[in-house]
Amino acid sequence: MSEKELLKGNIAIAASALNSGCECYFGYPITPQTEIGEYLSYEMQKRNLAYVCAESEIAAINMALGAASTGAKVMTSSSSCAVSLMQEAISYACCDELPIVIVNVMRAGPGQGYIYPSQGDYNQSTKGGGNGDYQVIVLSPSSVQECVDLTSRAFYLAQKYRNPVILLADGMLGQMAEPAIIDCNKYEEIDNSSWRLDGAKNRPAREIHSLEPSQLKLNQHILNLKKKYDLIENSEVDYEEYMTDDADIIITAFGTMGRCAKEVVNHYRMQGVKMGLFRPITLYPFPLIRLRELSYRVKTFIDIEMNLGQMLKDVQLAILSNASVAFVGKPVGDWLKKEEMIEAIDNIIKEQYAGIR
Amino acid sequence: MSYIVIDSSKCKSCYLCMEVCPNKLIKKSGNVGKTGEYTVEFVDKENKCTGCAMCAMMCPDIAITGVYKE
Amino acid sequence: MQVYAKPKSIKENSSFTFCSGCDHGLALKLVASVIDELDIQQDTIAVASSGCSVFLYNFLEVDCIESPHGRACAVATGVKRAHKARNNDKIVFTYQGDGDFASIGLGESIHSALRGENITAICINNTNYGMTGGQLGPTTAMGQITTTSPTGRNREYHGFPIKTAEHIALCEGTAFSARVALYDIKNIYNAKNMIKKAFEYQKKGLGFSFVEILSSCPTNWKLSPSDSHKKIKEELTKVYPLKVFKDVLNG
Repeated sequence: MSEKELLKGNIAIAASALNSGCECYFGYPITPQTEIGEYLSYEMQKRNLAYVCAESEIAAINMALGAASTGAKVMTSSSSCAVSLMQEAISYACCDELPIVIVNVMRAGPGQGYIYPSQGDYNQSTKGGGNGDYQVIVLSPSSVQECVDLTSRAFYLAQKYRNPVILLADGMLGQMAEPAIIDCNKYEEIDNSSWRLDGAKNRPAREIHSLEPSQLKLNQHILNLKKKYDLIENSEVDYEEYMTDDADIIITAFGTMGRCAKEVVNHYRMQGVKMGLFRPITLYPFPLIRLRELSYRVKTFIDIEMNLGQMLKDVQLAILSNASVAFVGKPVGDWLKKEEMIEAIDNIIKEQYAGIR
Repeated sequence: MSYIVIDSSKCKSCYLCMEVCPNKLIKKSGNVGKTGEYTVEFVDKENKCTGCAMCAMMCPDIAITGVYKE
Repeated sequence: MQVYAKPKSIKENSSFTFCSGCDHGLALKLVASVIDELDIQQDTIAVASSGCSVFLYNFLEVDCIESPHGRACAVATGVKRAHKARNNDKIVFTYQGDGDFASIGLGESIHSALRGENITAICINNTNYGMTGGQLGPTTAMGQITTTSPTGRNREYHGFPIKTAEHIALCEGTAFSARVALYDIKNIYNAKNMIKKAFEYQKKGLGFSFVEILSSCPTNWKLSPSDSHKKIKEELTKVYPLKVFKDVLNG
């Protein structure tokens, strides 16, 4: 496949996973991501790869944990409330340093919520829903092409850093179709022969575990993990900037909302307002430093999210200047329309600039 | 002459070996082991040990490290 | 001539950290002997669980991954399938307590058996949660006193215990399911043969193989190791009969 074709987001993720060398998939159905498992059930059986219709999301992520320990490329996919079920094993995988790609096609919460659009899992993904000091790498696509590209990157980063990676998509991306290309995988293979469990042949037995009764060793291990997270923060930050060069006002938004906000920027540019968009692609590591740089010459940041302001906290943390930060958002339901956003932003601009005059 | 070798540093004084020995050749020693109880010792003055290895089979801690039969 | 030696698959210089007289040591020794006899040490991957069984990797000289509490069969499924996807057939087994296998992890256990997952599960049934100090577990016998059933297990408060090996035998994907005990030499021999059979069935690719080992917990039962074995022989085997419940190669 190297020609543009019309692809649904969920299928794009699944096809890109195969193209990235995914050898094992374990999953349990939940809307709006079920097509990923359906597509792979056929394609993976055809290739004699590992595919299990797990009895629960808990089983699925634990199968992924076991499979990852062999050095295989492993993926599971699910949605919000069921990703909550996986948090224990994700915490284990971080401590065990096991590479697993976890696709979360978000729906609305809390609890069961519904299949309405939402971006309510920003905190769970980036701050950790499980116990202990750990970090998962979180990638946020905003188009079907990015679903393809970031799935490949997720497999690469998982192997490179021996860490779980969450691809944080949403129902809109999962269900919509647009032209995309699945190209050959551009990432190098990572050698994992030094740690994988493949039988103690001509070497001492290996052990992978998170339990550590020695206070000293446990402390050291967590500090080593911290070093790894620091390295990730220094090397893997990614974001998109749109018309930020001369912007007085910058919208911050991720995923589908980041895509919608581009239209808003275009609207204000037409009216002569110097507005730009800053869209984090890696939610962890968050592009804090770049945002901080921008904040010294930007007057206003407007954070737009389909939640009550989860990424907002990271934006506020980044800004050390006198720039103000406003928020536009709602927790669930139809995606914020261009008109709704413009109305809210008009009000923000009116308030902010009224005082100055 | 058959005999057994006991690593008393591994003995946890469960005494299951004493019970299983058909000729009662394993006894409590005068030495206190890791659990605060007397460890066991092999006493076979009349060469009664047959090397049946039941004591070693029964030891949960592999404290009976070898059984030798002649 | 040396007629008995430590199994090679037990780590050099390792000492079991179980309580005095605990059957965990016996069970692990048998598993190690079977691994030696079948010459599969270099091809075996063990899955440890939570509870007293957790330190497996400190004792066995085989590759080992720890699983979250109850999920050993799911983790083992992942290990087995991932190797199979690369055309490597590895021997994969779980070593779990009854709380892990039959309570918190019952879903993963039963479904692995139903799928006929080609793995071996060893379950130490000592009728209580040993690591946390002897609370009522899924296998605590009726009338048995534990720290959370101070007047004995009863129907009103606790309901009934699970007969794990019988349940696993009911699953169509199960190739072998048996319950064994370790209270005397004859039973220890038998247990070893059953464990060996379970591993052999996995080697032959026959499906899920399961051995439940009725084991003592002298510390929490507040009995001597010898009296604990007596209790298993005289009381518990009446509740939990020692039997092969399913054997696809022998009716």
